[in-house]
Amino acid sequence: MRKPYITIIDELSKFALSLFLLSVLVFTMSRLAPGDPLYSYYGDRVEKMGTQEQEAARERLGLHAPIPVQYVQWMKGALHGDFGISYKYKTDVKEVIADRIGNTLLLGGLGFVIIFVLALLLGLFCAWREDKAADRVVCGIGTVTSCIPEFWLSLVLILVFAVWLGWLPSSGAYSVGMERNPADRGSHLILPLAVVVLGHLWYYAYLVRNRLLEETRADYVLLARMKGLSGKQVLYRHCLRNAMPSYLSMMAIALPHILGGTYVVETVFSYPGIGTLAYESARYQDYNLLMLVSLMTGGLVIFGNMLARIINVWIDPRMSLKSGGMSGEVREF
Amino acid sequence: MDVLTVKNLSVSFYRESGEITAVKNVSFTLRAGEILVIMGDTGCGKSVLCKSIVKLLPDIAKIKTGQIYFQGKEITGYTEKEMQKLRGTSFSMVFQNPMTALNPCMSVGAQIAEAVRLRQPGISRKALRSRVMELLKLVGLDRPEERAGQYPVHFSGGMAQRCVIAIALAANPEILFADEPTTSLDAGMQAQILGLLLELREKLGMSMIFITHNPEVAVRMADRVALMRGGELYRIGDAEEIFEETIHNNH
Ligand SMILES: Nc1ncnc2c1ncn2[C@@H]1O[C@H](COP(=O)(O)OP(=O)(O)OP(=O)(O)O)[C@@H](O)[C@H]1O
Ligand SMILES: [Mg+2]
Repeated sequence: MRKPYITIIDELSKFALSLFLLSVLVFTMSRLAPGDPLYSYYGDRVEKMGTQEQEAARERLGLHAPIPVQYVQWMKGALHGDFGISYKYKTDVKEVIADRIGNTLLLGGLGFVIIFVLALLLGLFCAWREDKAADRVVCGIGTVTSCIPEFWLSLVLILVFAVWLGWLPSSGAYSVGMERNPADRGSHLILPLAVVVLGHLWYYAYLVRNRLLEETRADYVLLARMKGLSGKQVLYRHCLRNAMPSYLSMMAIALPHILGGTYVVETVFSYPGIGTLAYESARYQDYNLLMLVSLMTGGLVIFGNMLARIINVWIDPRMSLKSGGMSGEVREF
Repeated sequence: MDVLTVKNLSVSFYRESGEITAVKNVSFTLRAGEILVIMGDTGCGKSVLCKSIVKLLPDIAKIKTGQIYFQGKEITGYTEKEMQKLRGTSFSMVFQNPMTALNPCMSVGAQIAEAVRLRQPGISRKALRSRVMELLKLVGLDRPEERAGQYPVHFSGGMAQRCVIAIALAANPEILFADEPTTSLDAGMQAQILGLLLELREKLGMSMIFITHNPEVAVRMADRVALMRGGELYRIGDAEEIFEETIHNNH
């Protein structure tokens, strides 16, 4: 039997290795991409600078050395928790991110929770009404909504609810001077949140539906029905329980997708979160900022996958046997 | 007394490719306390026959004609609600593959307890627990206290089949349908499970419809035998009579 701490050490070293590879990749690619980071720092003033001045500026920002050397420099700092300054904001990138991350966590986190619950309920409902009218209608609507691109949906919602009806604000996270007003923040959240939820919901609901339907074909359903349970009771008490471990691990993988998937939405709604920051930093060669944002997002993705594996092993009694445990009898699970 | 009477039962599957009649005009009776063995080649409709009696056919299958009487009362037109009541209290079933018949994500004790609670809705926790232990002992599982908390993966096929039988017995059924309950087990286990079923029949006085391919199993279990072929039940009679006949025909 594998000791739990070995699993943890194993997972942690994989985590570190993945992050390292990601950092090398992003570092190199961002520097090879066309564009001049000096614009990010000095704005249009760059054009008025002489070549010599530009060279001096590059020197100061540590941009003159070959890429591998720059990387080692960056890594030295990063290991001490110093990720450099943002060229655009001229402050520590950690501060820039700290200012915004709350907004993203709020949007993505709320979105995730809503998707998590609604997908389960919708999937259950559709599985219960399999192939009946209600199931077909929901599946139809779901398929259509999941095909609408997020930016387009955002624009339509802005047009309807902000421009025509004027009920909701179209951009930002709060009105001027209302930073601490929950009602105001809430009203700014509704539209982006709606897009985040609508953009992902059906994908997961449909997976839940199909996963449950697969379960209803299993043998144990017959035995449960022979006990005198109704089809609906079997679905809730038996099938759901069996589908849950795979749902949880699926949602662990979904977590970074939903949290990170707010980028497009943030950009369209000019919502001051990590998404807009990522977009800006990539667009304007704000290298240090881009690095930290990528590493955080990447770390989240890797973490989600790790969580999914752990859930699989620890929650599902069918799996726990595989990872060691009982005597060596061969079983079909 | 007849516990179960089936008259002219026909069951069809409706697929896009057309109608398949899996059970054709089958009639038989099951007497109180007897074991009726149904034999026949694979695909001849034995399982479908059982499932149509307990009304657990897939949606695409329908009872086309015929009547089913349980203890003299016609149940052919029973609603799903009424059938649920009957399944929880009078009919039970044991399946071919015990490993897939048990819910892999639920402890065995919980699965037995669920069946007990459906039979006795108001039962106290303590009584429930002791009933689960009693059932586990009844089917010959040692250390029931420990067993109850385990999951099906921790069981061998034979032990899992004992658990399925425990679940079936929780209902205190009048009729136990056993659909090839030993086919997936090795010979030693098979003999034990057959012995257990015979012993339980004595103890609890239930009737049994027992499906098998295996003539040796049939000889051991049968009071009467029904032979099926291509959806039809073409011969039914006392075990000795039928076995003698078949031996005769084979020579
Ligand atoms: N889900 C299904 N869809 C369509 N036809 C089916 C289905 N299940 C059974 N049938 C039909 O019913 C016939 C009888 O099937 P059944 O499972 O009762 O056979 P069986 O006698 O139990 O065989 P076995 O000994 O292999 O268990 C099959 O030959 C098939 O044509
Ligand atoms: Mg069969």
